[in-house]
Amino acid sequence: MIELKSVTRRFGDAVAVDDIDLTVETGEVCVLVGSSGCGKSTTLRMINRLLPRTSGEILVDGEDINKADPEALRLNMGYAIQSTGLFPHWTVARNIGVVPDLLKWPAGKRDERVDELLILLGLDPETDAIKYPHQLSGGQAQRVGVARALAGDPNILLMDEPFGALDAITRENLQQEMLRIQRQLNKTTVFVTHDIDEALKLATRIAVMDKGKIIQHDTPEEILRRPASAFVENLIGKGDRGLKLLALRSVGELMERYPQPRKREPNADGLKEADSLRFALSVMVWKNASRLPVNSEAGEEVGTVTREQLLQGGA
Amino acid sequence: MPLITTLPNPVKSNRVVQALALAALGCVWLLDLGVVQPNRIVSGTGYGLYASTGWLGTGAVISLLVVVFVLATRPAQKRFQVVAVVLTVALMTLPLLLEVLARRQLPEDSGYARIGVGAGFWSLAFLLALMLLETLGQLKASRRFQLSTVLLIVAGWWLCASREGLSSLALIREYSNRSDQFFQALTVHLSLSLGAVAISAMLAFALAVAMVKRERMRRPLLGLVSFMQTIPSLALFGLLIAPLGALSDAFPFLQTLGIRGIGWAPALLALIAYSLLPMVRNTYVALMEVPESVVDAGRGMGMNERQIFRQVKLPLALPVIIEGVRITTIQAIGLTAVAALIGAGGFGTFIFQGLGQAAMDLVLLGALPTVFLALAADAILSALKFQETSK
Ligand SMILES: Nc1ncnc2c1ncn2[C@@H]1O[C@H](COP(=O)(O)OP(=O)(O)O)[C@@H](O)[C@H]1O
Ligand SMILES: [Mg+2]
Repeated sequence: MIELKSVTRRFGDAVAVDDIDLTVETGEVCVLVGSSGCGKSTTLRMINRLLPRTSGEILVDGEDINKADPEALRLNMGYAIQSTGLFPHWTVARNIGVVPDLLKWPAGKRDERVDELLILLGLDPETDAIKYPHQLSGGQAQRVGVARALAGDPNILLMDEPFGALDAITRENLQQEMLRIQRQLNKTTVFVTHDIDEALKLATRIAVMDKGKIIQHDTPEEILRRPASAFVENLIGKGDRGLKLLALRSVGELMERYPQPRKREPNADGLKEADSLRFALSVMVWKNASRLPVNSEAGEEVGTVTREQLLQGGA
Repeated sequence: MPLITTLPNPVKSNRVVQALALAALGCVWLLDLGVVQPNRIVSGTGYGLYASTGWLGTGAVISLLVVVFVLATRPAQKRFQVVAVVLTVALMTLPLLLEVLARRQLPEDSGYARIGVGAGFWSLAFLLALMLLETLGQLKASRRFQLSTVLLIVAGWWLCASREGLSSLALIREYSNRSDQFFQALTVHLSLSLGAVAISAMLAFALAVAMVKRERMRRPLLGLVSFMQTIPSLALFGLLIAPLGALSDAFPFLQTLGIRGIGWAPALLALIAYSLLPMVRNTYVALMEVPESVVDAGRGMGMNERQIFRQVKLPLALPVIIEGVRITTIQAIGLTAVAALIGAGGFGTFIFQGLGQAAMDLVLLGALPTVFLALAADAILSALKFQETSK
């Protein structure tokens, strides 16, 4: 658990972070979202003491972080940044292994861990491990950056716009991977972004920031349903709030489940349980269908969802 | 488009080698290959290629150049390989031309008579070397291959020079009169210049690190080392005589160490002073140019400042630091020659003696090894830097 209590950070006379309170529960993903310069990075960097705070208190699992040794603190907090900050003179494997090395893990254990992470992030332990950062694409470099942050098996993950510099498709892919990895690992995560869609997709709770203050701290659904101010309303966009709400829930939650799974007809198309309601609606509109079958991961037909259900119960 | 670039890269059609071959023909035609001097001081009579070496030598040189010219007309890999081999062998055996000159034109009875190397010989050697360089470049020869070619040629010259037939070459005469002094000069020259580079490298490293850590020290320190660089070298050598002389008068035990107003002590000090600027500047810039995001990431991973410096900043800065050492070493080898003026020894001794006696071959005996040392240092440190960069 991470607690920020009346934390303020000034640069000279300018206040970058203004008396904020924020609690990140263990295992949750807290996304700080806001326009550029509103103090997101400053907040994040105070948590691992890359920046000292001007006043206030920051506690990790009830302990004031200023009591810990800063290096020891950071070794237990994975850190990934937009510019990746990969060490250009080291191979991918050595980059990922840096924290295990700092923790003085035996070489065998470290190498195993590196391979495991390469696979987890969809990289090839044979060919990609021996590459240098300049030989990677932007997406691959970011994957390595995330793998490096995870390598020491830290309790806490800090990520500063890690996908900000990527093209839309690569970013989308990496967001999916993040969701998958987070379901697997359950790290307490603070994730910084200026992209509200990314925030809605990844967050357990979102903290909307403006001019150094936290305007609203709530679940994505609450943020969409009850924006605390005109600023938040503007940020989420008034026009497609309904669609964004639909995007938050999966087909599995709304569908009518059969008592028994049925055998799927070959070639019949259908939705997956994990698909979002927004996706389901889009498919219905495109195919002009009022009802679609839902298939489980195993490939059996487990239920159906109708257009009526979507429109009435979706948002 | 991509099809073309993936084709095996052929040697490009190129007129450079041919133009150089023509220039070489002109040079050997117009300039003296060598000079026969009745003794060390008198300037002597010059001999062109034909007068020096007769039909045989003239024929060999001209057919060499014609063959190279013809082979270079068509840009084929095979042809250029032949050209490279031919040029290497020609350069290795070039001093034999002077041996033929000695055999044909040197008066037999005179013990003082000697052969001077003429402008024709130097131009021919220089142009052949340029042609070889161009050919190796066209063939995309690796660094290692180029270096072995150079070593082959040096070995060839060394073998030629140690033959009896060339003992009358003025340069070799000067050398055999002073072979003990020559090796002493080599030792002194190397230890002075390399010692100065080593000491100032350590100093410069400490200064650069201090400048990185404390921004306030940057301007005064850079100002100081730049100021030292602006003092003319002769003046700096001279300026150090008085204080060091006074010091050694005041503390006689310093004299037993050899620290006096003249000699190696002021030379070493001045060399260190000159070496500081390029090294401080390169080391400082290299350390400052390590991307902030990389340092930030290292810190964020949990590295302490020492680990960041040793594992991240230093390795990333190393190529540029080595570049500073390279520049400094070449400069120090050259300046050490001047330090002979205050009695420091080294190859400069021959240069200034030769100038005093108007004996140009003695000047060459000092100048050629100095140039060779500088080129060797350049080659070694460039290779080292290349290796560090490509990691
Ligand atoms: N090292 C610094 N020195 C001075 N001002 C800074 C520094 N870092 C950030 N700031 C200022 O603090 C404010 C918040 O910055 P930051 O936290 O980086 O914003 P964000 O990450 O939300 O884009 C900005 O106005 C920025 O100019
Ligand atoms: Mg930022």
